[in-house]
Amino acid sequence: MQLGTRKLLDRAFTALGFGSIAMMGLMLLVVLVPIVGNGIGAIVFRGTVEHRRMLYNEFHRGDAGRLKLELAESDAARSEVYGMLDRFEAEMAGMDAVRREEYRPKYEQVQGALRALLGPLPHDEAPALARLKYGQTRWDKAEERLHDLLFEKVWDYSNPDEMAKSYEVSRSAAFKGTSLVKLFPYVENNIDRLLQPRWTLYWGFITDSSIDAHFFGGVWPEIQGTLFLALGAMLFAFPLGVIAAVYFTEYARDGFLTSLLRSANSTLAGVPSIVFGLFGLTFFINTLKVSESKSVLAGSLTLALMILPTIIRSAEEAILAVPKTYKEASLGLGATKWHTIITVILPAALPGILTGGVISLGRAAGETAPIIFTAAVSVGSDIGLADVFSSPTQALSWNIYNLASEHEAAAEIRHVQYGMVLALISIVMLLNMTAIILRARISKKLKG
Amino acid sequence: MTRQFGRALAAGAILLIAMSGRAEAKSDIVIDGSTTVGPLAKSFAAWFTKTRGVPVTVSESGSGNGAKSLINGTCDIATMSRSMKPEELAAARSKGLAPVPHVIALDGLAMIVNPANPVKSLTKRQIADIYKGAVTNWRQVGGPDARILPVQRESNSGTQETFKELVVGKKVHVVASAETQASNGAVKNRISLTKGAIGFVGLGFVDPSVKKIAVDGVVADPVSVRDGRYPLSRPLLMVTAGEPSGLVRDFIELPKTLEGMKMVKELGFIGKY
Repeated sequence: MQLGTRKLLDRAFTALGFGSIAMMGLMLLVVLVPIVGNGIGAIVFRGTVEHRRMLYNEFHRGDAGRLKLELAESDAARSEVYGMLDRFEAEMAGMDAVRREEYRPKYEQVQGALRALLGPLPHDEAPALARLKYGQTRWDKAEERLHDLLFEKVWDYSNPDEMAKSYEVSRSAAFKGTSLVKLFPYVENNIDRLLQPRWTLYWGFITDSSIDAHFFGGVWPEIQGTLFLALGAMLFAFPLGVIAAVYFTEYARDGFLTSLLRSANSTLAGVPSIVFGLFGLTFFINTLKVSESKSVLAGSLTLALMILPTIIRSAEEAILAVPKTYKEASLGLGATKWHTIITVILPAALPGILTGGVISLGRAAGETAPIIFTAAVSVGSDIGLADVFSSPTQALSWNIYNLASEHEAAAEIRHVQYGMVLALISIVMLLNMTAIILRARISKKLKG
Repeated sequence: MTRQFGRALAAGAILLIAMSGRAEAKSDIVIDGSTTVGPLAKSFAAWFTKTRGVPVTVSESGSGNGAKSLINGTCDIATMSRSMKPEELAAARSKGLAPVPHVIALDGLAMIVNPANPVKSLTKRQIADIYKGAVTNWRQVGGPDARILPVQRESNSGTQETFKELVVGKKVHVVASAETQASNGAVKNRISLTKGAIGFVGLGFVDPSVKKIAVDGVVADPVSVRDGRYPLSRPLLMVTAGEPSGLVRDFIELPKTLEGMKMVKELGFIGKY
C-alpha cells in the first residue's frame, strides 16, 4: 500500500473515531437535557395560590399569614367571577325552555373549565377526591386551562369522506348578548390576581408522600422503596457473589463441573429480567412463602438473583487481575491459603469487585420487571425498615411505568413522572459517583 | 483498609436506622387486580388509610393476576372487571376457598375513536366485524377512506374478556393486525394519537382527547349504563376469599357510604348504590 493511501486511511479512521465519540456525546445530551430540564420542573415551577393552599391544608406547611392575604385578594377577584355565574344562572332561569336547553351544555362546559382552573365553585358539594378540591396548582397548566376556558376545540365533520380537522372558536361568542359574555375577558385579564403565580421551590417533591394517586405531593416513598430494594439486593448478592468468585478462582479445579458452573453463570446473566420476576413470584412468594404477599424482601431476593452473575464475573476478573507475586509472597512467608485470600488477595481486588457491585446496584435500582410481581405496588403506605419483611413498596421504576401507561390521568401529571425519572437517574448517578470515589481512595491507599 | 470498610458499613447502618424511624404498622389490606378498577381501588385505599389509619396497598396487574393472587392467598381483595372464570373458581375451591364477588360500581365499556373521525355510531355487529377483520376500512361503515386500526387489550385483561364476551364472541379470534395495549390509559393514548384507530376503555377513562361513539344507537353515559340500555356494560367487582370480615368488610362496604359514592362518581364510574 502506498504511503499516501495509508495516511489517508489513518486520517479517515481518526475522523470516524472522533465522529462516533461526538455522536455519543450528542446522544447523551439529547437524552439527558430533557430529563433534567423537565425533571427540575417538578421541583422548581411557578406555583399558584392553589398550590400554597394545598400545601397548607394537606401538609400543614407554608406561611399562614401570607397565604391568608393572598387568598383574600384572590377571593376578591373570584367573587366577581362567581357573581357573574350567579347572574347568568338567574338570566337562564328567565329564558324560555328552548333557549335554556341550548345554553345549558355550553354553560356546563364553562363551569367545568372554571372548576379545573379555580377549584370547586361556591355552590358545589365538597368533593371527596383531593384532585378536585383544588384548582390548578401549576401556572403552566393553569395557562392551558385558561385557554380551554376561552376557546373551544371544535371538529369539522362537514365532509364525512375525510378525517375531520379541528379548529378553535371563542366561547364568549356563544354567549353573545347574555351577561356571561363579560366573564371571559374578566378572567383573562385578572388571571394573575385569581391565581397569583409565584416561583416556587418545592423540596417536598423529594420528601413528601403523594396524595390522591400522585396528583399532589412528592415521591419520597418511591425513593425510599428504590433504595430499600437496591440495597437489599446488594446485601444478599454481594457477599454471595464474592464468595462464589473466590471459590471459582482459588478453589475450583478446572474440570467439567467448573466449566458447567461457569457457563451456567454466564447464561444466567443473559436471562431477561421478567423471567427473574416470574421466578421470584413462584419461588419466593408462592413456594418458599418468604412473605404473605409481595414484599421488599421478596423483591430484593429476586433482584439479588438477577445481579448475582454480574457480581460473580466482575469479582472473578478482579481477583484474577491481582498479580501472582502477591499470593506467592504471602504463601512464601508461611501464611495459609485462607489467610492469603482474606488479607492479600481480596483487599487488592477490592476496587475491581466494588466496580462490579456498583454497576449491579444501579441496575437493581432501575429494573422494573423483576419487582412487578414481587415487590411493587402503585399505592401503599410509606414503609419503614421494620416493614421490609412483610410490606410491598412503591418504587421509582415501577411507578414511572404506572404513571406513563396505566394512570387514569397520565397527561395531567406528566411533571410528576418527569420528576420521578430525574430522581431515579440521580440516585443511580449518586451511587456510581460514591463508588468511583471509594474506589479511587482504595486504589491510592493500596499504591501508597 | 478494614477501617475504611468499617466506616462505610457504619454509614450504611446510620442511613438504614434513619429510614427505620418512619416505621409504620404492616400493610393490613392487600389489593391486586384490574387496571380498570385501579383508580377506584387507589382512591378508596387512600381514603381508608387516611380515615382509619390502616395501611392499604394496591397493585394494578390485571384482573387475571388479581384472581391468581387471591387463589394463591397473596391478596385479601382481588379487583376484577369480569367475573371469575369456571377454571379460576375450580382452582379456588381446590384450595378450600369460596370466592365471593362484591359489586362496587358499574362501568360502561366505551367504544372510542380519534376525535377527527366523523363516524358517530356503530352497531355491535359492525364492531365485531372490525375486530374479526371482515371490515378493514372506515368507508365500509360510513366513514372516510382510511384503514381501521383495531386496538385491543392483553389476554390478562378483564376489559378484554368482557369485550370479547359481549361483542366478538368468546371463542372467536381477534384479527392478527389488531394492536394490543396493556392498560386502559395506553389504549386511550394510542387512539388519541392515531386517526384510524378504534378501541374500548372503561367509561372513567374517557376524556376529550378521544371520542365516544354510540353502540347500537346508544351513547355510554351514567344514565344509559345504569338502566341497562347501553349494551356494553358490566359490574366492577371486588372479590374476597370467603365472606369478608373485619377491616376487609369495612373496605368493601365503602361504595355504600356517602364518601364512597362520591368518589365513584368523581372518578367517572357509575355507582350501584
